[in-house]
Amino acid sequence: MSKTIVELKNVYKKYDDGFTALKNISFKLQEGEFYTLLGPSGCGKTTILQSIAGFTEVTSGQVLFDGKKINDIPANKRQLNTVFQDYALFPNMNVFDNVAFGLVVHNAKKDEIKTRVHDALKMVQLEQYANREISELSGGQQQRIAIARAIVNRPKVLLLDEPLSALDAKLRKDMQYELRELQQNLGITFLFVTHDQEEALAMSDEIFVMNKGEILQNGSPVDIYDEPINHFVADFIGESNIIPGKMVADYQVAFLGHQFECADAGMRPNEPVEVVIRPEDLVITTPEQGKLQVKVDTQLFRGDYYEILAYDKAGNEWLIHSTNASTDDAIVGLTFGPNDMHIMRYNETEAKFNHRLESYED
Amino acid sequence: MKRNYRGLFFTPYVLWLAMFVIAPVALIIYYSFFNIHHHFTFANYQEFFSSGTYLTMTANSVLYAFLITLFAILISYPMALVISKLKHRDLWILLVILPTWINLLLKAYAFIGLLSHDGLVNDLFQFFGIPAQHMLFTDASFILVAAYIQIPFMILPIYNSLTDISDSYIRASRDLGATKWQTLTKVIIPMTMPGIKSGIQIVFIPSLSLFMLSRLIGGNKVITLGTAVEEHFLTTMNWGMGSTIGVVLIISMVIVMLLTNTKRKRRRTS
Amino acid sequence: MNDKASRTGKIYITIVFLLLYIPIVYLILYSFSKGTTMTNFQGFSLKHYGELFNDKRMLAIFLNTILIALLSSVCSTIIGTMGALAVHNAKRRHERETLLSLNSILLVSPDVIIGASFLIFFTALKLPLGFWSVLLSHIAFEIPIVLLLVLPRLDEMSPSMTNAAMDLGASPAQTLSKIILPYIQPGIIAGFFMAITYSLDDFAVTFFVTGNGFTTLSVEIYSRARQGISLEINALAGIMFIFSLILVGVYYWIETRNTATTGKKSIVEVGDR
Repeated sequence: MSKTIVELKNVYKKYDDGFTALKNISFKLQEGEFYTLLGPSGCGKTTILQSIAGFTEVTSGQVLFDGKKINDIPANKRQLNTVFQDYALFPNMNVFDNVAFGLVVHNAKKDEIKTRVHDALKMVQLEQYANREISELSGGQQQRIAIARAIVNRPKVLLLDEPLSALDAKLRKDMQYELRELQQNLGITFLFVTHDQEEALAMSDEIFVMNKGEILQNGSPVDIYDEPINHFVADFIGESNIIPGKMVADYQVAFLGHQFECADAGMRPNEPVEVVIRPEDLVITTPEQGKLQVKVDTQLFRGDYYEILAYDKAGNEWLIHSTNASTDDAIVGLTFGPNDMHIMRYNETEAKFNHRLESYED
Repeated sequence: MKRNYRGLFFTPYVLWLAMFVIAPVALIIYYSFFNIHHHFTFANYQEFFSSGTYLTMTANSVLYAFLITLFAILISYPMALVISKLKHRDLWILLVILPTWINLLLKAYAFIGLLSHDGLVNDLFQFFGIPAQHMLFTDASFILVAAYIQIPFMILPIYNSLTDISDSYIRASRDLGATKWQTLTKVIIPMTMPGIKSGIQIVFIPSLSLFMLSRLIGGNKVITLGTAVEEHFLTTMNWGMGSTIGVVLIISMVIVMLLTNTKRKRRRTS
Repeated sequence: MNDKASRTGKIYITIVFLLLYIPIVYLILYSFSKGTTMTNFQGFSLKHYGELFNDKRMLAIFLNTILIALLSSVCSTIIGTMGALAVHNAKRRHERETLLSLNSILLVSPDVIIGASFLIFFTALKLPLGFWSVLLSHIAFEIPIVLLLVLPRLDEMSPSMTNAAMDLGASPAQTLSKIILPYIQPGIIAGFFMAITYSLDDFAVTFFVTGNGFTTLSVEIYSRARQGISLEINALAGIMFIFSLILVGVYYWIETRNTATTGKKSIVEVGDR
């Protein structure tokens, strides 16, 4: 079992104008893991990062680093470093001086600075760029320099504030691999902030999904994708069809006038619920064979699949991913298995959700 | 952490604010309630608002400042518009700025020569067969010289607001069928109103009180509020009355500010 | 950027530029005249420059003016930059707005009001009028323009820049000296130069607070010009014009060097006052 390096205990952040940015945030980060704070803009994820880094003071609650409370320790005395969204590279210094900055202010020896800057630049594959000016670098290179600068002090935790958001799609994908690899090579904890669910799913050991200052759900990427706790998480992570239904009994759910076998249990009989079916789990078939009948409205070719938009008789929208094209305005059937459905209760807390899942899953 | 250092920056600056901004304004208001024998009185204000001399002077000052500002706008707007369309506009606007780096007094002094009875302007007049005029020490020459001095300060803010307008607005206007004239009056001028307004602020307020110009060019005929303040403070030593006129000037300044104030913050953020 | 100005437009600006420059050219031209009046040019001569350089009083006044300009600009640049930092770090919005409105009072006030109120102020403090009162006044009215030139640089500096410095272990003093000051340096230089020109250009405020023993060039020109034409003033204009050109030149040289590295412009934006 690895050691807890960062912990937040009942952290609140309220602004003077009455806005509450963080509501009772508690979590632990273990050494050497890759964590992601995921949520829409304004959800408080950056505020968490800033309160760990020391750029903002929390209103109440504790921020612990290595078991010690660091609420009152200024940012420059905290042993963790940050990669900023806009990189924040100092324009008045060249690449070498930027990376060396953290060592210079700690009065490191010249030789040591040289080797460590070289090592850090090597880590991000830019060792030959030491004498360049910042303005001569591309966005992707600036990004790497920002990372090199942040790891040169050998922090135990690296905080990354949406570092990939300014890069184009292709570069962003490449950087996802590299960041993951870098984290494993360094063996330190990464806390990554993003609003991009794909990024979060691709890189993280564990994801915290946030909205409106609260952590809604945490877990591995697979858990969160397959078993979202509520409408918001299901909608935010990946694409999904969410239909209101009723839990008739354990493993039996009813919606759109039909009753289906499902894989969820532990709810009150006839409890109103929401049913999530991912578009890639829906299979198009003939109207007779389908469990449901829908009318195709429009379809878009997405390269590796067709995205088909259809409506059922009740007017619900259905999103289907299919490798084959369909015909506009055709009536088609949809099939799905019990495991393709995920049932969500209204207003279930994360603790109760986890407890219920444990009660019927082995 | 930051807060300790903030105090360090704050102290000298706030001290300056208190000593050289708030205290002088407070003192001038305070003095305006004292007569020449240092007795508290409202007489200065009574005199100001009942005497024909002071009221005419105020009306004159406002009229002159208005005319100066008007001429400055009429000459500067087309100037700024044309410069903003030039290829090397940065260089041309530099040429507009350059005269502002030359001492005001020297420029005023130049006009003493230019406008004198045998000066260049009269030479030109004679060339066209107009008899020589006595131009120095007239109201017209005062307004002319003041407008001359103020024109660069009017061009600059208008030019800045013109260059802030993205070309796409003008293209959009043309695309939607507006003529050049319609584009100018319905798109460009409204969008440069902040520039015009700040130009008015920059020109109108000092024009109310250009005492050295009225002394040098206007002779002692043009008595503006500015000359009155100077006279009361430095010649007749009636500081109370001088302060009263000063307070009137401050109030008119505030009125002009309120009238021309626009939310200019938008420009900073965009 | 294409040249889109029309023919009439070009003719128009040519005329306005001529009108802007004729008085200046006229002024300097006559400094080379043999005669004694600004009418009827009487042949080339440098005698007025000779008179000027032998005029001990004028030389002393010239040095006074430069001394006041430099000292006041240095002080006002320091205090103005501190003020910009204070305004920039203001926690609440209305605190910032209040500071900025107070700051602009001296910028928009008519010169006579500033002069008269400073005169009252110095008299109330029993400070004798002369070098010190002039110096203090110049510092006072230069501070707001310095602040206005430094503040935009500070505001456009990403907050993550200072956070990054702190994050890497820099103390607040190190952050200020290694990151913030180098970043806002163009604004500080612009402020310094603008302060010098404000000082050299000022007449009205100095006129009020100068007393009897101490004079600056502006005040001297005023009192001589009131007595009539003296071509020595034209010669002085010639010297000051060259001086201004050098100042402008140095300023733009620094400015373009900064633009080359940061891609920012500032002087034209705030050249208005």
